[in-house]
Amino acid sequence: MVAIMAKPVEQTAYDDLVILAKSQTTALGRLYDLYYDRIFRFCVHRLFNRSTAEEVASSVFLTVAQGMPQFKGQTEQDFRSWIYTIAANQANAHIRKTMRRQRLMEDFGARRRAREQGPHEWSSLDWPSLYAAIQELKPEHQTILTLRFFENMDYDDIAGIVGARPATIRVTLHRILRRLQEALRGDLGGEE
Amino acid sequence: MFENERDFRKLVARMKTNDEPNAAHREQLRRQVLETFEQAASRGRRTEGRGQRFEPIRPRFSVVCLPFLRLAIAAAILVAATAAVSMWLGAFGGRPTFDRVRLATESAPWLRAVATKYSNDEERTEQHWCNFAAKEVYIVPEDWAVVGYDYGAEQMKLAYSPGTKTLFISELPKAGPYGVESAYNFVQAFSVLAAKDDVAMEESTAEREGRAVRVYAIERADPALTVDGKAVARLRMTVFADSQTRRIVAAAVEYQGPAGTVTAREDWVMSYPTAGPASIYDLGVPRTARVSDMRQGYRGTPGEVPTPFTPTPASTSSFRLEPLRIELPKAMFRGTPVDARTPNLEKPRGSPRPAFLAPAGTANVARGKPVSSSDPEPLTGSLELITDGDKEAVEGNVVELGPHPQYVTIDLQEPCEVYAVVIWHQHRWPRVYYDVVVQVCDDPAFKTGVRTIFNNDADDSLGLGAGLDLHYTETYEGKLVDGRCTQGRYVRCYSNGNTHDELNHYIEIEVYGRPVN
Repeated sequence: MVAIMAKPVEQTAYDDLVILAKSQTTALGRLYDLYYDRIFRFCVHRLFNRSTAEEVASSVFLTVAQGMPQFKGQTEQDFRSWIYTIAANQANAHIRKTMRRQRLMEDFGARRRAREQGPHEWSSLDWPSLYAAIQELKPEHQTILTLRFFENMDYDDIAGIVGARPATIRVTLHRILRRLQEALRGDLGGEE
Repeated sequence: MFENERDFRKLVARMKTNDEPNAAHREQLRRQVLETFEQAASRGRRTEGRGQRFEPIRPRFSVVCLPFLRLAIAAAILVAATAAVSMWLGAFGGRPTFDRVRLATESAPWLRAVATKYSNDEERTEQHWCNFAAKEVYIVPEDWAVVGYDYGAEQMKLAYSPGTKTLFISELPKAGPYGVESAYNFVQAFSVLAAKDDVAMEESTAEREGRAVRVYAIERADPALTVDGKAVARLRMTVFADSQTRRIVAAAVEYQGPAGTVTAREDWVMSYPTAGPASIYDLGVPRTARVSDMRQGYRGTPGEVPTPFTPTPASTSSFRLEPLRIELPKAMFRGTPVDARTPNLEKPRGSPRPAFLAPAGTANVARGKPVSSSDPEPLTGSLELITDGDKEAVEGNVVELGPHPQYVTIDLQEPCEVYAVVIWHQHRWPRVYYDVVVQVCDDPAFKTGVRTIFNNDADDSLGLGAGLDLHYTETYEGKLVDGRCTQGRYVRCYSNGNTHDELNHYIEIEVYGRPVN
């Protein structure tokens, strides 16, 4: 399935739902239905493992369920920033906790070595290789990249989630792509 | 290769990955989420939170006063109420129960007390060393103006002036400002007041920092008691005694104004080391200091002064208090930003930490010692980094433990007398770590004989007992915790996330002490 999934949401239509979800179970159920797929996919793209993504997504929604009665936000935009912040933090914490990064690096290192036997084609770049390169970025940069390219969020939304100014996100993203480009270029033996 | 965002988006678009959600998981989680939500909603709005933590009583100063004058007048009320001479003879009445506390306290070879005095919006800390058998007490304030009282054979007061490097010797005041100025007098004065017929002593039991204590409190109202011409309506003294040893472990004095507000306060924490200073020279006063004996009108240096005028020589044993030498890492930021979000936050000192006194020969007994943790697999770093001696806040030095409450335990590999524990969490940024608790124990499981030497878990979220210490901001100086001469083989430090994230970090822990044997 193509990775680009998330679509812009009509924000105002769900503002009331967010307010109701603070006290009504059915409203929270609707919000859950609205966000489960997005959060799950975000977790898949961040963690590259379906079962781990399910685990982290569960943790995210249970955190939301516990915190919803005290949630101060009034709009769907507020809710979206909140839930993605939780998801980003939990994905980062999970990566740190399980040392997945280290193991993945070893796995992908082996893949790269194996690939070095074959032709160095830019077109041969596959998802595991791209993911390996992404994983070499800082966790915060991975979050920004995932939100931008897999969740299709604009700079304002990302800024709200990671707690930075939109202009900063724009510059950071530019640098992230630079680093990723260098990493992949090295990985593909300098091929342009 | 991609050159811009659009290219990269195309690249991502052609990547295939299985990100289709699992319907069974979605449904199962949905039920869990809704159940959790109903439980959370039924509990109602959470009223306990970090923003509503316990606020200790901080003095609000309705009376502008000089600390010395306040102490002097308070002492005059306390001490003049009894025959001062009878105090030295030990003729105290006291209520039967408190008498046992006094006797148990005074039977210790040494009493060490750390007094924190709040006055005029300032905080001062003093270290007191009392030898009840010899009737001597030494007080070391932060500015090293050491004072000694010899209530025994010599009947003299010693006062060292670091500025002039002169040791002044004078007669003991017969009554007056030394009333509750020292831990020695505090015990005496409390006994005297407790014995008075018109003073009601409240007695109760409580738990303090994880151990059972008996609480004795007395209040004294005296319309004649004034400070700087303004009335101090009430004086309240509280003593906390260990239920088992009956020795005093802590005390507090509150001065209340007419409106009932606390105008000044003193907090005392007592411990009982096996040895102490035998002379004022054991407290860092140089032997070369000039001696000015005001009783005899004599001035000179120790070599010139005839023996009768010289203070007791420095002890020949290894016991001598010296400033602890702590190597500090590089500061990673300047100043301490104001943190308005964290309650109970220690006021930034704004200057380097005053020297901490510890017996000569005290060293970092934790260096290279094994460390264990509640999180056996740190997220980054390894546990041995905590005692490797490297305190720089750089990548590769930080041990990151998981979220929620976590602890690390250092095995000193032999019982030690602990004088200070210095903790560096992540000091690269001015963070505040929550629920910091430091314990010393001989039991590796920390089930019996646990002594808590620091606890800022005000709402008891760790379940170790509510702490009275304040939150503090991480700096390159680390947090120095007074070890209170506690004996034990294991030192355990707890934390519960920080102002930046829910994770727990350690760069270094140093335990300054000496092996018991």
